[in-house]
Amino acid sequence: MSSMRLTALLSMAAKAAFPRDYRYGTNRPWTIAAQRLNPPGKKRRKVFVEPIANEDWHVLRGDTVEILSGKDKGKQGKVAQVFRRRSWVILEGLNTHYRYIGRSGDYRGTYIASEAPLLLKDVTLIDPTDRKPTDIEWRYTEEGERVRVSVRTGRIIPKPVYQRRDGIIPQQWKDGPKDTSPEDTLQKTYTPSLKTLEEEVMEKMNIQEDRRPRKSYWY
Amino acid sequence: MAVSRLTAAVCRQFQRVVTVSSHTQPQCATQAFSRFHLCQRRQTYDSWWFRSSMNNRALHTSCVRKGLEEFFDLPENWGEQTVKSGAPWTAKQLRVKSNEDLHKLWYVLLKEKNMLLTVEQEAKRQRLPMPSPERLKKVERSMKRLDTIVTEREDALRLLQTGQERGRPGEWRRNVFGKTFWYRFKEHPIPWYLNSRYKRRRFFEPSHVAPYTRLSLEKYLRSKMRKDKRQKRNQKRLAAMFPKKTALA
Repeated sequence: MSSMRLTALLSMAAKAAFPRDYRYGTNRPWTIAAQRLNPPGKKRRKVFVEPIANEDWHVLRGDTVEILSGKDKGKQGKVAQVFRRRSWVILEGLNTHYRYIGRSGDYRGTYIASEAPLLLKDVTLIDPTDRKPTDIEWRYTEEGERVRVSVRTGRIIPKPVYQRRDGIIPQQWKDGPKDTSPEDTLQKTYTPSLKTLEEEVMEKMNIQEDRRPRKSYWY
Repeated sequence: MAVSRLTAAVCRQFQRVVTVSSHTQPQCATQAFSRFHLCQRRQTYDSWWFRSSMNNRALHTSCVRKGLEEFFDLPENWGEQTVKSGAPWTAKQLRVKSNEDLHKLWYVLLKEKNMLLTVEQEAKRQRLPMPSPERLKKVERSMKRLDTIVTEREDALRLLQTGQERGRPGEWRRNVFGKTFWYRFKEHPIPWYLNSRYKRRRFFEPSHVAPYTRLSLEKYLRSKMRKDKRQKRNQKRLAAMFPKKTALA
């Protein structure tokens, strides 16, 4: 009993706890910039975000989208980051403002362009055939796969290929000495039987257990 | 005569200085100790017992090499900044494996976890970043999923054979504050009517606490109602703010 409570306690401590009116920004919550944005006693006006279910979200990282309103209206760009909590999308190199970074002492820092997030309603996905903006619906193919379909032309928009953060490309992966090969991983060795794991293992390892448990009372 | 098991783990310096006893000790305990720890432990022993003639035997043994290298990474990974590692085991992949395979995999994962924890501790000691800490998370997740599969199989078997939903017996009881909770049974060597400490525990509420159970129930119901109302109000507000678009842009 106590062991389960302990793990529950540890997991509670490990999980980050945010206040109810925490305002999520573009910085990760553990950075200093995010701490500056959300000091403990602050009370800011609440942001209202259109509630979109997780399965209805249609813009994925790596997609090419077009901006509908704002400074860079009409331009197409690749999605670099998606913030579902605030319905934000950050495109590479578009909707930028300029700022100095890394200033110290007298040195004013490097002048860089930093992208501002765009709301989901200000971007649309692009149809690959004519490269024009279009609306998207989630539909099922004949095989039963759920795909994004452009409403205007009916063409399926494939899921974007985006490089993983650890730089691994699954098609070019070579197994290391400690990795199990795909054939061994998928090989089926399980035969259902009326024996528990302990009994089966004892049989295989020829362990004879002749001791009988002493009578104990559960209350 | 019979070589004492303790001598297998004694370091070379000791052989010249201290005579070894023939007192048998569990081999597994000594293998895990490093040389330094063993030297420290020895000083606390009673010296006259060691030096008595029946226990004296000077013996020379070589250092033990009983697989301590499994606590460390492969030699080609020493000093690297990142170590390549594959994906963790998924529950779907583990479900098709037999019990014997799962049993073996558990210990392989355990040894890997011990190795990674050693690497982590050494990195902390050297005040350097640990190479590829995601390996530890992958191993822990794999072990957790393996545990889930094994409990699934046990639950299925138990339900089939006995109809019991839980592996550990328990029942709903009221504690002294009037709250109903799931009391999980503990294993005891003596029955409850002989256990004086258990008899002192009160699984009922005294009469002066009884009015408060109704009040706390009302409080709980009120808070649930308030939460539901708040959620409905928020959803209505959001629907008013973001109306569903009928004509698509």
